Amino acid sequence: MEALLGALNPYGFLIVSCVLAALLALSLYLPLMAGQLSLASPGFYAFGGYVAAVLSTRVFPPESGEPFSVGLLLAEMAVAGLLSALLAVLIGLPVLRLQGIYLALATIAFVEILRVLSLNLAITGGAVGIFGIPQPFGTQLSYLWVAGPLFVATCAFVYRLEKVRVGRAFTAIREDELAAASMGIVTTRSKLLAFTLGGSLAGIVGALAAHFINTWNARQGTFDASILYLAFVLIGGSRTWLGPVVGGLVLTAVPELLRGSAEVGALPAWLGDFLQDGRLIIFGVLLAVGCVFFPQGLITPELLARLSRGRGPRAEIAVEEAPPPAAVGSAPTGTGAGRDGP
Amino acid sequence: MFQNLLNGLAIGSVYAIFALGYTLVFSILRVINFAHGAVFTVGAYLTYVLTGSSFGFNGLLRGQSLPFGLPFPVALLLGAVLAGLVGVVIERLAFAPLRRRGADTLLTLVSSLGVAVALVNILQYLVGAEPYRYPSTALGALPTAINFGSAAAPVPIRTVQIVIFAVSMVIVALLTYFIRGTRTGKALRAVSEDATTAQLLGIDTDRLILYSFFLSGFLGAVAGSLVGLSVSVAGPYFGLAFGLKGLAVIVLGGLGDIPGAVVAGLLIGLAEAFVPGQYVAYRDAVAFVVLFGVLLVRPQGLLGRAQVQKV
Repeated sequence: MEALLGALNPYGFLIVSCVLAALLALSLYLPLMAGQLSLASPGFYAFGGYVAAVLSTRVFPPESGEPFSVGLLLAEMAVAGLLSALLAVLIGLPVLRLQGIYLALATIAFVEILRVLSLNLAITGGAVGIFGIPQPFGTQLSYLWVAGPLFVATCAFVYRLEKVRVGRAFTAIREDELAAASMGIVTTRSKLLAFTLGGSLAGIVGALAAHFINTWNARQGTFDASILYLAFVLIGGSRTWLGPVVGGLVLTAVPELLRGSAEVGALPAWLGDFLQDGRLIIFGVLLAVGCVFFPQGLITPELLARLSRGRGPRAEIAVEEAPPPAAVGSAPTGTGAGRDGP
Repeated sequence: MFQNLLNGLAIGSVYAIFALGYTLVFSILRVINFAHGAVFTVGAYLTYVLTGSSFGFNGLLRGQSLPFGLPFPVALLLGAVLAGLVGVVIERLAFAPLRRRGADTLLTLVSSLGVAVALVNILQYLVGAEPYRYPSTALGALPTAINFGSAAAPVPIRTVQIVIFAVSMVIVALLTYFIRGTRTGKALRAVSEDATTAQLLGIDTDRLILYSFFLSGFLGAVAGSLVGLSVSVAGPYFGLAFGLKGLAVIVLGGLGDIPGAVVAGLLIGLAEAFVPGQYVAYRDAVAFVVLFGVLLVRPQGLLGRAQVQKV
């Protein structure tokens, strides 16, 4: 175990970054579950980070030389999650009346307004930002002690959410909002819940990331970040929780691994340079090509069903095979949607 | 006061022609072309290189320049035409395949975002991230500033601002004539009203979509070069930031509304110019506060009428 940890240590930053990216992809996926294309995640991420940064450097800074307490870190994450949820409700109530592109535009405006505010307010440290955020751990890999459980818990939560009544209401809204409403789903409440869950998760991740990255400034929550998370979700697959998780993990890790393999000579130097400097070119092309050729993303519910049919017993197939999307909103499955509910 | 007014009109008129590019495509396809901000940047760089200026030390093309240099107005026009062709290529690669399949418009939005990210980063890869300035001779023999006050109380206005405002207004006038007065413009309006019916009436919708992308790229590139002339070409990403502000303009004007985009562009330019001195750091937020507010209060835009969604 010790040897394994030692071997992984140089990759600590990459491993934790991958996990955080997957979590952020999930934060964008949550509103998308209810069909709401919200690009607000980077805003909540930045907000949560500022909450943690301000609390740990101004309100209860550790004694000099002492490491930051892990308990306080967890408390900060809880506070950031709650405040982000509150902000999400305040923003979501008016904004979620908008549909499609109008919602995306409003959330872009929200992220940009937050960015300009954080560039100018005294409490966020202006353009310089907040630096020297205290460290609870000695190595970057150790952040996995917090990021890992958060990741597992979030995955379990979203996995379960897709099976229960609340989550199925989200899916129904995504497939056909009008049909969902006529089935008795209070669409406003469901959409607000999905939006708030996503915002709260992004805030929690932000609080953790602020410690992990050590400095926090206005460059953390930008429009570019929105596009990046969107790429994670859409390339990974936007109709099952596994899609954004795989998208976030893989798309963060692959460029670094390719770069590493170029450094040890497995790839020609010019290609290595391109993979490093041109990483965002590849992302952009992937995003466009993915939309044209894989509009569902790489991982789809159908793919998962096919994989599980390959090995699982017959009985499981009935559970795994989701009803075809078009049928979700239609009347007969309406009662089915409540079957798993409390 | 007069200075603020003219500065506001100058930047506002650039917002207007930039937003016209967005709105032309939206009025026909009902999709926001997020690559428009990237085409804006491409246009600014094309104009830069066509004036015969050389690149800096960071990109793949470090220190390179064309063997000839064109006068600025010619470079601007040629650069804009080339950027228009870039717009056409974007249509073929990122919009047409999705349109033929009848895909969700949000998917088209994302693929145009992908193209934007790729274009901007290709630029950065080629020419680096440093800012570029157009040659100081760009405006020829014109003085740098004109005094609109008296000798005792001078009110100097930068000539660049006047040129920008004049050029933009000429372009708006030409475009208005094109859309109102010509056969092609009429066909464009017909397609934006109802694409299916227009096609049934024998209008070649596909060709008109190409026209609108060309025009949109042209307008974006002119806007990019004019901003570059007034300030500088501040790196590959400056178009994306400008593109986000352009979203505020088209939403304020009403998505797809051509006169609305012009009025809204001028209004937002003026609003930014009249931000009081002590809050000048918040100037960049003005457009987004407007965007947020308009979406909540009047999503159909300034001149639009509320539409009832039919089910």
